[in-house]
Amino acid sequence: MQRKLTPYILLVPQIVLTIFFLIGLITGITQSLGVIPAFGLREPTLFYYKEILTKPDMVNSVLYSLRIALFSALFSTAAGVLLCALLVNGCRTKGKMMRIVQLPIIVPHVVVALFAINICSQNGLLARLAYAFGLIGEQQQFPALIYDAGGFGIILAYLWKEIPFIIYFVIALMANIDGKLGEAAVNLGAGKVQTFLRVTLPLCASTISSGFLIIFVFALGAYELPFILGATTPKALPVQAYIQYTHPDLRNRPYAMALNGLIIVISLVCAGLYFILMTRSQKKLAGKK
Amino acid sequence: MREEPEKAVKKRRFMITDIILIMFVLAIILPVAVMLVWTVTERWAWPDLWPQVFSLRALDGIFQRSEVLTKLFASSIIISSAVALLSVAIGTMTARALVLYEFPGKGLVYFLTVLPFMVPATVFAMGVQITFIKLGLNNTVAGVVIAHLICSLPYGVRLLMDGTAAVGARLEEQARVLGASAGQAFFRVTLPILIPVILSAFCMSYIVSFSQYFLTLLIGGGQVKTFTIVMVPYLQSGDRNIACAYSVIFLCITLAVFAIFEKIADRWSRNTDTAFYT
Repeated sequence: MQRKLTPYILLVPQIVLTIFFLIGLITGITQSLGVIPAFGLREPTLFYYKEILTKPDMVNSVLYSLRIALFSALFSTAAGVLLCALLVNGCRTKGKMMRIVQLPIIVPHVVVALFAINICSQNGLLARLAYAFGLIGEQQQFPALIYDAGGFGIILAYLWKEIPFIIYFVIALMANIDGKLGEAAVNLGAGKVQTFLRVTLPLCASTISSGFLIIFVFALGAYELPFILGATTPKALPVQAYIQYTHPDLRNRPYAMALNGLIIVISLVCAGLYFILMTRSQKKLAGKK
Repeated sequence: MREEPEKAVKKRRFMITDIILIMFVLAIILPVAVMLVWTVTERWAWPDLWPQVFSLRALDGIFQRSEVLTKLFASSIIISSAVALLSVAIGTMTARALVLYEFPGKGLVYFLTVLPFMVPATVFAMGVQITFIKLGLNNTVAGVVIAHLICSLPYGVRLLMDGTAAVGARLEEQARVLGASAGQAFFRVTLPILIPVILSAFCMSYIVSFSQYFLTLLIGGGQVKTFTIVMVPYLQSGDRNIACAYSVIFLCITLAVFAIFEKIADRWSRNTDTAFYT
């Protein structure tokens, strides 16, 4: 009897915190459906969702954020996996190299925004280098990488932070597989590249995909970088949501929540995928043993 | 004859790999180096590649208002350390429940445990603020700690689950057979072996808490000042020297905190053979 209760007792603090989290989610979802009794709004409606998906400035926010999230996640995953493969191949999975890889992980996004301003702005190091090499004649000729409508600076900043994250996330598994199964494949006559593409990569696929999902959802919902580095228009989803949230007219609150609701829907889909991927990879790796 | 071109190809491939890796390392280090230069820069006008005038104005300015700095220092570090310690403690308990026991609803609990990984803090913050206000937790340090904890716990749990699974239950069972109580078996056998994982979980949770801006802004209401809350206005006003100086100081502090906890963890597990951890 006691043993049956043990896991639940161990889970008490976790469950209390989870309840807090769920209250936040559920409040957000009900408010996005226009139900805020305190403001006299009682009837559930999909009106606010329709609005955010038709009003031009809101649609632009949605597309802008989706683009930033997709490009950041795609490029950092691709580059991260490639670099990871090079590191594993060169047996540099420990020591100094890993210390350097870990550096961006401990740097907060706010500081990464500072880096982007120092390096990529029209007064930054890249612009100065372009001038020094005679590529541009004056400051204004340097393309606006930050505060730009394309979100290029934001994506660059995410890449600086997330490529090392992917390496950190994947390298232990990749090194392990490469060491054991990779060697077997090479012994059986496969080339290095062939081994990587047909043995190592497929076995790391679920971990890599979950890394991709984590970055995608993070870049979709994070506030700091688009707030500091973003253009005046279009505004990123979370920035737009916060503007509506703090709008003096409290009836704008449901717009904020509908924008958040959109993020929740996308993140829940990703969370489902992540969960499936993790369970599958755990099974696969367990089966391997 | 046939070997030579092959060798050349191999050599060239190594060269390309090296160049890519060197560029990667440079790309990581360059912004950090530029930040270090900015902290001691007075004037760095277009289009020079190196500052014209150096000075310690930014650092002096920060250290002169040492009262502000100490306060900020204390609140930032106390909040993040508290979050990290709680995350490790709760994470260890959750990990044990999820790894070593079978019970109905386990899949659901695991899903809910890792869910904050996937739902951005901004969404959670805007939804939960009203509840925090009702509970009187808004604008308080305790409220910020709870909010941060919810976001950093998934990292702690994930890492500690791997650790707990690797240690397994066998050693503890053996200790029990030899007459140890359940508590003794955990604290004297499993915990020392878990120390390296606990340390990573601590660092990860600390970083997640330390990096939060939006959540701190909303739940702390501007009353609870942490590093990020102080930084952002400087970034917006374009005061780069001060922003860089603050960043350098706080990154150094973070590294120092990690070093201290590594020492503590080392001392704690010194008498134990960690080779069991495989």
